[in-house]
Parts: sequence; C-alpha cells; structure tokens
Amino acid sequence: MNAYPYPELDETLYRETLECGLAVSVVPKKGFTKKLCYLAVNYGSVHDHFELEGREYRTPAGAAHYLEHKLFDMPDGRDITGEFARLGASVNAFTSYDMTAYYFSCTEHFEENLQLLLDFVYTPYFTEETVEKERGIIDQEIGMNLDSPDSVVFEELTRSLYAAHPIRNPILGTRESIREITPDTLHLIHRAFYTPANMMLCVLGDVEPEAVAALARARLGTENRPTARKLGPPEEAGPIPRSLTRKTMEVPMPTFCAAWRAAPLGRGESAIRQELAAELAAEALFGESSELYLRLYEEGLIDSSFGGGFETLDGCAMLLCSGDSRDPLAVAEAVQAQAEKLLREGIPREDFLRMKRSSLGRRIRALDSFDSTCFRLCAYRFSDFDYFRFPECLASLTAQEALGLLAKTCAPENRAVSIIDPKP
Amino acid sequence: MIETITLSPGVTLRGVRDSRFKQGAFSIQLIRPMCDAEAAQNALLPAVLLRGTRRCPDLRSITRQLDDLYGASLSPLVRRIGDCQTTGLYGSFMDDRFALPGDRVLERITAFAREVLLDSPLEEGGFLPEFVEGEKENLISAIESEQNDKRAYSMGKLLEAMCRGDSFGIPRLGRPEQVEAIDAGSLRAHYEKILLESSVEIFYVGSAPVEKAAECFRQLLAGLPGNRAALPAQLPLKPGAKSDLTEVQDVAQGHLCMGFASPITNRDPAFPAMQVLCTLYGGGMTSKLFQNLRERQSLCYSVSSGYYGAKGIMTVYAGIDPATEDAAREEISHQLALCRAGEITPGELTAAREAIVSSLRAVHDSPGAIEGYYATAALSGMGLTPGEYARAVNAVTAEEAAAAARSLEMHTTYFLKGECQ
Repeated sequence: MNAYPYPELDETLYRETLECGLAVSVVPKKGFTKKLCYLAVNYGSVHDHFELEGREYRTPAGAAHYLEHKLFDMPDGRDITGEFARLGASVNAFTSYDMTAYYFSCTEHFEENLQLLLDFVYTPYFTEETVEKERGIIDQEIGMNLDSPDSVVFEELTRSLYAAHPIRNPILGTRESIREITPDTLHLIHRAFYTPANMMLCVLGDVEPEAVAALARARLGTENRPTARKLGPPEEAGPIPRSLTRKTMEVPMPTFCAAWRAAPLGRGESAIRQELAAELAAEALFGESSELYLRLYEEGLIDSSFGGGFETLDGCAMLLCSGDSRDPLAVAEAVQAQAEKLLREGIPREDFLRMKRSSLGRRIRALDSFDSTCFRLCAYRFSDFDYFRFPECLASLTAQEALGLLAKTCAPENRAVSIIDPKP
Repeated sequence: MIETITLSPGVTLRGVRDSRFKQGAFSIQLIRPMCDAEAAQNALLPAVLLRGTRRCPDLRSITRQLDDLYGASLSPLVRRIGDCQTTGLYGSFMDDRFALPGDRVLERITAFAREVLLDSPLEEGGFLPEFVEGEKENLISAIESEQNDKRAYSMGKLLEAMCRGDSFGIPRLGRPEQVEAIDAGSLRAHYEKILLESSVEIFYVGSAPVEKAAECFRQLLAGLPGNRAALPAQLPLKPGAKSDLTEVQDVAQGHLCMGFASPITNRDPAFPAMQVLCTLYGGGMTSKLFQNLRERQSLCYSVSSGYYGAKGIMTVYAGIDPATEDAAREEISHQLALCRAGEITPGELTAAREAIVSSLRAVHDSPGAIEGYYATAALSGMGLTPGEYARAVNAVTAEEAAAAARSLEMHTTYFLKGECQ
C-alpha cells in the first residue's frame, strides 16, 4: 500500500485500489485498542434508477435500506451477528441518501472480524419468506420516523425543494413502497452496485495496513465486475415546487427547517472547496458567532436547538437551518435579509480568518472520533477527494468564494420552509 | 493511570495524561444532592453563566473567544448520577501540538472558564435579568421538547412513575413551573451558596502532565475557600406504588416500556452479573429480546433493555404495532422467565461478556469516554477501573446471571399509543 503522510494532522493514510477495483484505506492508530472497519457502498436511497447490462431499471423507494437489513441473512441459518458477538465485535449498518455502509468495531480478533464482514456483505442470500418477514420490522421503523418531528420536517422540506429528485422519498421508503420489494429486487441491486469497484474498505486502528489489503485481495480475487450506470438524478432546473409547507404533530413548540436550494456541486477538489466555502458562508450568516444568531437568540426567536450548514449529495445541494421557534417564518425572513446584508457589506477579513481557524480546529478535534473520520474518508472518497486534505483547502479559501456561493444560492425564489406546528 | 489531586478541601482533580489525542477535555462539576427544591436552578445556572462575562458581554463575544481558541467548546454540564445532580461546565479544546508555535490552549481555556464561572456581569447583586429570563424560556422549551422523542418521553414517564418518592423520580432539569419561579436575584444567591458549600469534582484528560493541569485549575478556584460538604451518599431505590399506565396521543407507533426493580446496585458485588444478564437479555443484536421479538416474531424494529446501576432498575423498551401489545408483553416476560430458569446458552453468555469487555477496553480510546467513565464513577460509588471491572465481568457464570435475573421484580409498565389504536 502507498503511504500518504499528513504531518499537520499527525496521521498517515495508507491507500491502494485492488485489482478487483476495491478502494482500501487504512489509518493506523498506534496505541489505540479500538479498531473500526467500514465496508461502504457508493449507493444509497436516491440511486433508484440505473442501467445494468443494457437494461434500464427503477427500484421502489426504500430498496437500498431493505437490502441493508437483509444482507445480514446467511445461507444454512448461519447467524452472522452471533459470530461477530462471540469475537467481541459489534456489527451494524446504515443507509443514507447516497451511501450504504456495513461496519464493525472490536478490540481483538480484528482479522477474523474483517473476514466475517467481507463474507456476509458479498454473500447475497434472500428468500421469499425472510424478505416477507422483514416487512413487519421495517413497518415499525417507518412508524418510528413518522413519530419523529425532526424526520418529518426534513422529509417535507425535500419535497418542497425538489420536483423530481429522489431525495423526495424517505430513505426507508413508505409502508406502500416497501410492499413492492421482492428477493429479485434485492438480488438485482446487489449485482448492480455491490461490486468491489463501487465500494471502499476503510479501517482505523492499530492494524497492519498490508494485512488488511491482503485479506481483502484473498477474499475478492482479481475480477473487476462492471457496476451499474446510475441514471439521473434529473437536473432540477424549474422553480421549487412549494415555498411553504405546514403540518401539525404533538410538539410543544413549532419546529422548522428552512433551506435554499443550491446548484449541485459535482465531484473532486473544486466541489469540496465549494462545500467548505458554503459551510463558512453558513457560519458567517447564522453561526453562533454571527450578528444574526445573537440578535435572534436575544429576541427569543431561536434557542440552542438552532443550527445549520450546507448539505450536498448526488444531484442536490442546499443551505439549511433548523430548530424550534415560536415564529419560524420570521427566522427565515431574517436569514434572507441577513444574506443580502452580508453580500452588500462583505465579511471582514479578521472575522473570516477567525472562522477558518475555528473550523480547522474543530475538524482536527473531530479526528479523535473513529466513527466520524471513517465516515468522512468514505464519503469524500466517493466524491473523488481525500478528506485529510481539508487543512490545505481551508487555508487557501477566500471570503469571496464563500460570498459567491451565498450570492448564487440565497435568493428568495430558491427558498422553502417546512414547519411542524403544535396540534391546536 | 488516573491521578487524583486534592486542590483544596472538597475540591478534587482527577486527571489522565494521554498524548494520543488531538484534543483535551475537562469538566468542572459542583456536586449537589438531587432534590426538588434546586433541580431547576442547578439546570439553569450554567446556561446563564455562558451568556456573558463582564469582558465578553454577549454570546457573540463568547463564541469569538472560543473561535480564537481554535474552535474550542465550553458548554453547560448538568448530570444526574444516582442521588446526585451535578452542575458546571464541560470544555474540549485542540491539543497544543496543532496550535501556532508557543500558543498554550489549556492555560487560555481554563482562564476563560474561570471568567465564565466567576466574572458574570451583575445588576443589583443578581445576574442580568435578560440573561436569566432568556435562559428560563430556553430551559422550559428544552424540558417540553423532551416529548418530541416519543421513546425518551415514554421512558421518562415510566421512571417518574416507578420512582415516585425517590430522588430518581425528580426530573433532571426540573419542572417548567419551577423554572418559571426563578429570578435573577434568587439564582445568584443560590449560586453563591453552592459555590462555597458544594464539593467540586474536576476532571482533566489531555497531553499535559496532570500536575500542570492542577496549576491551571488551582488558579481557577483560588480565592474560593468555602466550607465544602462531603460527597452525598448514594441510597437504594425507594420505589413508588406499582402501576400499569396507558397514555393516548397522536402517534404512529406504540411505545411499550416495562420497569423492573432489583436490590443489586452498582455498589454490589453482584453488579457485573446483573450487567451481563441485562446485556444477554436485551443489550444488542444477539440478545434474547432482539432475536425473539424482532427477528423471530417481527413484532418491532427497536427493542432493548437497560439498567440504571445507581438504583437497581431494569427497563425494557419496544416500539410496536399497538395491536400486538399483548404478544409483546408476553414475549418480554417469557424471555426473562427463561433467564431466571437459567436457560442461557454458552454463546449468549460469551457474547454478552465480550460486548461489555470490549466497550470497557475502548474507554481509554476517547477523551469523552474517559471523562464520562471516571467523572461519574467517582460519584456513583462504583470504585473499579475499566480493567478491574472487565475482569469481574469475565468471571460471571450463567448461574450468577440467572440469579441476577431472579432478583428482578416486575414493577411498572407504561404504554403510549395512538388515538385510533
């Protein structure tokens, strides 16, 4: 494996792409007991339209997540979570809009656990009976989300901002859409996207990088299978479908999400620069050190639940803020007005430097978390960028770049507000 | 590896020097008995202190200070640890080796913490009324927002019913009407009192020698002699009357919570056996509850058990379709009956022991986990290091786990369900 030292982060990243196409990254953490290992797929709930072997397919909403649940099943009643548990490892998985990841953490028996991870993720085994049985479980998971104001308010927001992008669909799907999922659907997706070339193995911990690569090589061989071609998501050129959506739930105070739809960022270094610039713009606009945050907080329009930033994934991007407020529309209007003020007046140089220093420090501190670092290494790799390069990116960012993003994004016609009001 | 230094009578610094991390962390906790009369005031205090100092008169200047300190954070810390409530600050900050040459982040952030704790702007001897009124509103809203998370809300209701008559039944952040009754003068008077009479626990983890951290924290408390109380004792649960409660709200899912009481607390030699029992019963994906309620019967997505060691309370939670309430209750009881009868496989026992031991081994891998373990263990009366504790867990037999199960007595259930269900 090739070693890439990052002295300014006190880390070394080992990286290699195996013959089968699997990207392997290892960050050795000398002296730490915990080992964390991700096997991530560059595929999530929004990738519901694709072409494989000359045919076009559309899959029901919730299919990526359903597969994540069922992949733990093994032939002959083999109990994979039990096998991890007996080795002292805990195994789990998650599905997001644009990534599915299977991971374990352990303190001992790392190589046996890695073997188990590769085994079950690359062994699709689904029967009518087991797929049917899972529906009751996922029904309850959907019920849990329907009771969560934070999930509901965000899902309503996505439907307001986008007319066609599949971010409109909940990651879990709906109680109706999951009824269309069969073993064939799951086999199809596994064949289409769970190819080594569309995946990444990422390990943090006191391990030998070469041993990780060797184990993966032995399990996966050299065949580089073709991955399905993602179709869409469609470019959203038209106006946003709805500027305001309100629902009622059992909440004590209105909770809201306000967002401005931005142009998708694409991939690679320029995309990451824009993302960092947008995050600094969000910080200048409504971060805790901003003029606006202080004013809204002192007026009692926001409280410590308020926060925001910039979200980006395949084919969509948005600047958003959320929290509880007795008057969410007043908050959204205030952010809009502040964006215009910021664009007129600019960001003072010393303020921008301070924000960059703070962002750098917080990102360096976050590297102590194995989970967040592993996740970021995978997510950024899938966007063709090495996450550990964030210090050099931040250092060269200018206030002009941050303001440029704000200027393109923060127009009233790009804005949608989603509110959950208390029941009368 | 943990060093304990008495900075002054009643003020204890516990520190772990560790240079593997990219950040350091500290907590400063004033220790109070958990009681109805002051729970709300203790919960409100740190938020008011963090609104401003005489030098940094508003939130914006506070945040700017922290931004200058490489994005350090200083936040309110309010904990319940058995019969104690703690109030104070939690700080975390980037390690010096990433800072500009010669910059000393620990010295600067502890000096700033001192300013926040001891140099508030005052008006007529009280805190600034606008800070207090604003933070009262925020605290009330935080208390009320607990009902947004239906699982946490249901669990809170279960514990409140089970622990009526015990300090554990007092809401950690107080009640809205108690918050409402606080004013700027009374809060300041309360603060001045507890600053001098409470025992203080300070915890530090980071790359500096603990003695160096002690110098910083000594300065922080210099000039506050006080006459400090000893740490309050931890008492066994005084349970309320048994009950079976159902509440109806507009919810999509049913939330079933069951509470069991046991004399085994974390001060008890049988506690490791209880923790092993609780883990194999409902502690993860290999547990009896997960394997049977979810995997075999598809009754739920989320099911688990937890144990409050300070008081000896086991809780079980399941998010279910309300139509299956009886089946779920029956299966939860049936699985516990199997544990009581000693029907625990070697695989279940090993998986449970390994899960606990792995998480204990990993305690030393993060500053937050180190602080969380040691800063609460000292107060809860649980005197073991993670290593000693792991050895005790590894020695637990199936029969000891079964005996722990037999000590559990069904106490209270709480069920939240939808209007038409």
